[in-house]
Amino acid sequence: MLLTAGPGGSQTLDEPLTLVSSEGRRLLPTVAFDGRRMVDLRQLTGPFGLTIPENQQPDRLTLLRGEQVIVLTANQGLVSVAGTLVSLPSPPVQRSGFWYVPIDFIGRVLALVHDQNVELRRRSGLVIIGDIRVPQVVARYQRIGPQARLRLMITPAADHVIEQEPGRLVITFEADALDLVVSDIAPDTLVRGLRGVDTRPALAVDLGNAFGAYTSRSEPAIGGGVELVIDLQPAPATATRVVPPPAPRVPTPADAAPDPDLPALSELAPPRTIRAIAIDPGHGGDDTGTRGPDGTLEKDVTLAVARRLRNLIESQLGLRVVLTRTADTTVALDERAAIANNNRADLFISLHTNASVRESATGAEVFYLSLAEYDAEARAASGFAGQLVPVVGGGSRVLEIVPWELAQLRHVDQSARWAATVADELSLRLPMSPRGLQEAPFRVLVGANMPAVLVEMGFISNPDQEAQLTSTTFQTAIANGLLRSIIRYRDAVARGVPPAGPAAFAPPDGPDAALAARGGRIAGLGVTQDFHDGLQGRSP
Amino acid sequence: MKRDSWLYVALGAAAALGAWVLFVGLPRWYPPDSLPAATGTSTAGPLVDTTLFYISDDGMQLVEFERRLEQRVEPAAQARVILEAQLAEPPAPLLSPIPPGTRLLALYLTERGDAFVDLSEEVALGHSGGSLEELFTVYAIVNAMTTNLPAINAVQILINGREVDTLVGHVDLQRPLERNMQWVADPAAETIPEAEPALEAEPAPTPTI
Repeated sequence: MLLTAGPGGSQTLDEPLTLVSSEGRRLLPTVAFDGRRMVDLRQLTGPFGLTIPENQQPDRLTLLRGEQVIVLTANQGLVSVAGTLVSLPSPPVQRSGFWYVPIDFIGRVLALVHDQNVELRRRSGLVIIGDIRVPQVVARYQRIGPQARLRLMITPAADHVIEQEPGRLVITFEADALDLVVSDIAPDTLVRGLRGVDTRPALAVDLGNAFGAYTSRSEPAIGGGVELVIDLQPAPATATRVVPPPAPRVPTPADAAPDPDLPALSELAPPRTIRAIAIDPGHGGDDTGTRGPDGTLEKDVTLAVARRLRNLIESQLGLRVVLTRTADTTVALDERAAIANNNRADLFISLHTNASVRESATGAEVFYLSLAEYDAEARAASGFAGQLVPVVGGGSRVLEIVPWELAQLRHVDQSARWAATVADELSLRLPMSPRGLQEAPFRVLVGANMPAVLVEMGFISNPDQEAQLTSTTFQTAIANGLLRSIIRYRDAVARGVPPAGPAAFAPPDGPDAALAARGGRIAGLGVTQDFHDGLQGRSP
Repeated sequence: MKRDSWLYVALGAAAALGAWVLFVGLPRWYPPDSLPAATGTSTAGPLVDTTLFYISDDGMQLVEFERRLEQRVEPAAQARVILEAQLAEPPAPLLSPIPPGTRLLALYLTERGDAFVDLSEEVALGHSGGSLEELFTVYAIVNAMTTNLPAINAVQILINGREVDTLVGHVDLQRPLERNMQWVADPAAETIPEAEPALEAEPAPTPTI
């Protein structure tokens, strides 16, 4: 980590945030200190009802909101908030007597002392105060031959109206503001661009010369949102064409069915190497896991978040998702990894909520398996290898057998890489513990034959966090963070960034290896392919 | 032929009795740690500085705490003294990482330096169930043994005499675990670990208001 907040650091104006509350919208200027987006504390006192008492100590700033006290220390990444410590991604900066804090201060610190909902949505640069409707609209545009398709995922669902104006389509939403996520598109003859509308919660689609007509349909998306699909067709005949034009399309209910002329979008997607995700809702059945002061059970929270995440992955990425349990049932730890292995999952994520005898303990943590505890076994079985098995119809093939205790070892490098991404994405959305990323000898990860992480989403023993963990907003934020981490990992794999295999574990070089400890339990059946090439080496 | 079969029955019975004596009777009559205990039963012996582990004020890590405990000659006896102290309720405001009521049922040391610590089921039943606290429970025991007794390399925890997968669903107890100070506060740092690196090594702020 670079020391970026130094006295000599550069300082420039950055993109402002937009503050949305029941009193309307206003801009919140931000400043970049060596690339870190900061906000002047004086800008926050008004909207958030903060007061700054006189007689401050040097290098220390005390803020009050009602009875609640916030203490900042110059160049310290930890802030004391009503008696608990919260970490910031970078320390506050004191410059000419004024204080600047990272924008995450809003979501991590002010949200804790404010009596209304406070949310920082980084991607869209929105700060939301209070109970107002700001649905997220994720727009994806895809050119399919002469036609095009625009898909808008709206979460939570909001009513909308599509109006055709000269040169553009405007989709207006029933909301106070929009959290619009639009990636840059390459302008073409049908659509020249997508952008938000300044005066109302709407998305404008700038149309190209070739545009002729559109049809739209919307369907409830799993997870409480709605997906609006707009198909755009080119103008039918022109004078220069000799071939008789096709009959003009009349939008009919039949349009709701997939158009056979349009290839499935999944076929157009870039080739994927991540095909399936295993989600493990921790505990279940007789094993209730941790329990909150209000009686919330870990097993219920983990299943709820697992379902949200499954819906997001299926609807937004089109990947196969396997849950190690889909109901309130008891599943043994090794069985969970076996389910992931047998279903050939490419990533494994185990969801948990933490608990402490200290009520103040708070924040999310991400774990991957620590190697040290399994070193001896790794060495003892350093030559495990294939075994010839007969195949139905004659002949034989090599079946690779992995001792259970070794399944995860060769993926640990990639698990660590992915875990860091998970921690990074979660830290944008939720309070993290002072140790957001750790390695530990967790049993459920041991037998997983793919990169695997365990996420402690928060401390259910803390009354505030218990309330958060049961809220839709918080659960959705977690699911979104995990989804983003999967996307980042998938994209990195596609670019060939992750290492081909962990260096800590040498590939086998002999067929006579001993099946090591634990009576030769094997890590499921999903291991018959040559996995030394890592994820890319798997055949479908 | 009939006499032969009686002989087999008698031999079998003798073998069974022998096996019972060897595997059940002897351990029961002479629990491994009771053998050396005879050498150090006196309570007025010398004392030895011992490091025990408790939960920090913020609940996010373990902290070391020095106690003076009776010194025994035999490692197994000393291990028992240390464990009993670690399992006992600490003086306020220290908080034990081990659920109250947890008893030490048995303790075995092997020549390889592995210790097997057999605890009563309260260690799991009375647990908060959090993974971080499970790490604290396990590594308070593992670190108390390995830090104070160089002869012990690794510690495996049993519950009611049985091997278990985990205490409460997270930490792998299928193997002896070595000393691991990852969750123990660094006494030199005197504050919460791993804040984003500050500009300079300034004294940390006191977290309380």
